[in-house]
Amino acid sequence: MPIRLFGLFLVLPALAVIALLFVVPLTSSVIGAFAVGSGYGLGNFIKAFELYTSDIVFTVVIVSLSTTIIGFLSIAIGGYLVLGENPRAVALLRWLYRWPLFIPFIVVGQILRTFLARNGLMNNVLIGVGVITPMQAMSFLDWRGIVIAFVWKQTPFVAMLVAGAMASVDRSTIEAARNLGASRLRILIGIVVPQVATTLMVGLVLSFVTMMSVLSVPLMINAQSPTMITADIAFRINAYGDYGVANALGLISLVASACVGWFYLRQSMRKRS
Amino acid sequence: MSKNGFLGIEGITVGYGRTPVLNALDLSIRQGEFVALLGSSGCGKTTLLRAIAGFVKPSAGSIRVDGRDVSRLPPDKRGMALVFQSYALWPHMTVAQNIGYGPRLRGMARADIVRRVDELQELLGLAGLGQRKPAALSGGQRQRVALGRALAVDPAILLLDEPLSNLDARIRLKVRHDISALQKRLGITAVHVTHDREEAMVMADRIVIMNAGGIAQQGAPEEVFNRPSSPFVAAFMGAENMLTLPGALRNARIVIEAGSTNARAVLPLDGRLLQDGPFEIRFRAEGAELLDGHLPPAETTDALELFGHVEAASYPGGTWRHAVRVGDDILLVDAALPFAPGQPVRIRIPARNLFLFHSQADVTRPHTGSLHDGRKADVLETSEA
Repeated sequence: MPIRLFGLFLVLPALAVIALLFVVPLTSSVIGAFAVGSGYGLGNFIKAFELYTSDIVFTVVIVSLSTTIIGFLSIAIGGYLVLGENPRAVALLRWLYRWPLFIPFIVVGQILRTFLARNGLMNNVLIGVGVITPMQAMSFLDWRGIVIAFVWKQTPFVAMLVAGAMASVDRSTIEAARNLGASRLRILIGIVVPQVATTLMVGLVLSFVTMMSVLSVPLMINAQSPTMITADIAFRINAYGDYGVANALGLISLVASACVGWFYLRQSMRKRS
Repeated sequence: MSKNGFLGIEGITVGYGRTPVLNALDLSIRQGEFVALLGSSGCGKTTLLRAIAGFVKPSAGSIRVDGRDVSRLPPDKRGMALVFQSYALWPHMTVAQNIGYGPRLRGMARADIVRRVDELQELLGLAGLGQRKPAALSGGQRQRVALGRALAVDPAILLLDEPLSNLDARIRLKVRHDISALQKRLGITAVHVTHDREEAMVMADRIVIMNAGGIAQQGAPEEVFNRPSSPFVAAFMGAENMLTLPGALRNARIVIEAGSTNARAVLPLDGRLLQDGPFEIRFRAEGAELLDGHLPPAETTDALELFGHVEAASYPGGTWRHAVRVGDDILLVDAALPFAPGQPVRIRIPARNLFLFHSQADVTRPHTGSLHDGRKADVLETSEA
């Protein structure tokens, strides 16, 4: 067998896995999104936008808001790990912040459901301490609950990437700024974050895409309308067997994710030039 | 040293964990003086510089600038600026932004910052490079940007942490000169850390040779070069040739009796402390003469003569360098013309090039990082310089 064919033969299993498990389903979903009755058209998209425009906006807004908050919290955590001067607090934070990484989304949904409900742990504690009266207690099980769940679950992931990148920033660039009189906050914003911007962006884009695809959290925390696109996709398939609209909704979330990816690529290209 | 220096360091002690790095070190530096801290790696010179800058907290001692105790002040309140070994330029900022960062932090008006940055770029030969990022600069240019960034805040004291070690050899020679010329021109006080002897000699007004967390010797370059106070300093300053010979004092003169490898020598004591006993003798390859060895040995009064034969000769440039076997020792000696291997020779070392120390060969052994531990040896050299 010629050596080139042999090489191809070696990568064949991997290629087959990618083709069968990824390319084929994706292609059939994309085609399915345009399949209406006997032919092809935009019918599924028209229906999807008629029924779910508010959910699409809701999803993009919620995920964008969560991504923004995750960004700030990751910078804060990474920044404290690198610039913190209390070694015990730094060690404690380093040990603590990664825990949510090991908890699945569905469990996060369940934990927060019992925590954020009107008669949940949070309100009970606040009432017990006397901060609010039982009359003021309200449920956070709406968009706020989803944002809290996403932030709680995804911050450690981005923070881990960012903290790693910050730790590998040339320490003397931080000392040089301190030598000239920069405060720690100023060093974080002006010296450290710009040097880890690429890593931060990668973490946020990955987080954004992950959050776009989470089904369990919106189902657990916010089953009312408006809800997230994933819940709608599940509903279309489970309740109606309507794969056309489900595929259209899937393609819409893919486009939303792709926009973020494109934005990131454009930024990194511009920086390089 | 006097306590009224511009930069006064008194009893500074620093340890990393349980490992002591600096041990009750005193140093006083005059205003406008260029001091080089010279030593091999691990001697504590960088730690001392970082303690002066405020990045290392000493466990004891004080640092004073112009009479003011700055020991407890943060790095930016000490009136000092540090140039880092790696330059530590901010890669996301342009040259102008790097240089202008300090003035901007100090709240200087925008127009004044621009003027200051232009001025420094002009001074450092960086004109026209203001909009470049550090990645688009050569090593020498980066080094000058780092210098400009430090000078932009008008520091009273400039601290330099091996700023030339990342430059290639040819540029280094020029930058050496540039930095010391600039320092003289600005009249700024400078403390320069280096492990390069020649760099320290060329740049500094005073050299402080450090060893094992303390000062081994300090003085003007020619003083430490010609009058090393210990075998360690002599070896560090290039006197690597070493042999041990018995000697004695007679009428304020040093007498080394004739032996199997040397002629009798009577040398001037030159007012130095001396005891009878074995001497550790050190000299530089270029401080000795190589002569034909066929003449009969005769007593000398102004030089020490050793006998041996040439083992090898090489040409490093300028002069021929010979490895000469003298008894059990191999000594390196320079000569204008080559001697053939196997040829018997005399090594003649003039008294002024001869460093003699009371030998403690049985007590002090070479330790890590330096060739010979000489801190305890008495000052016994016969230099006339």
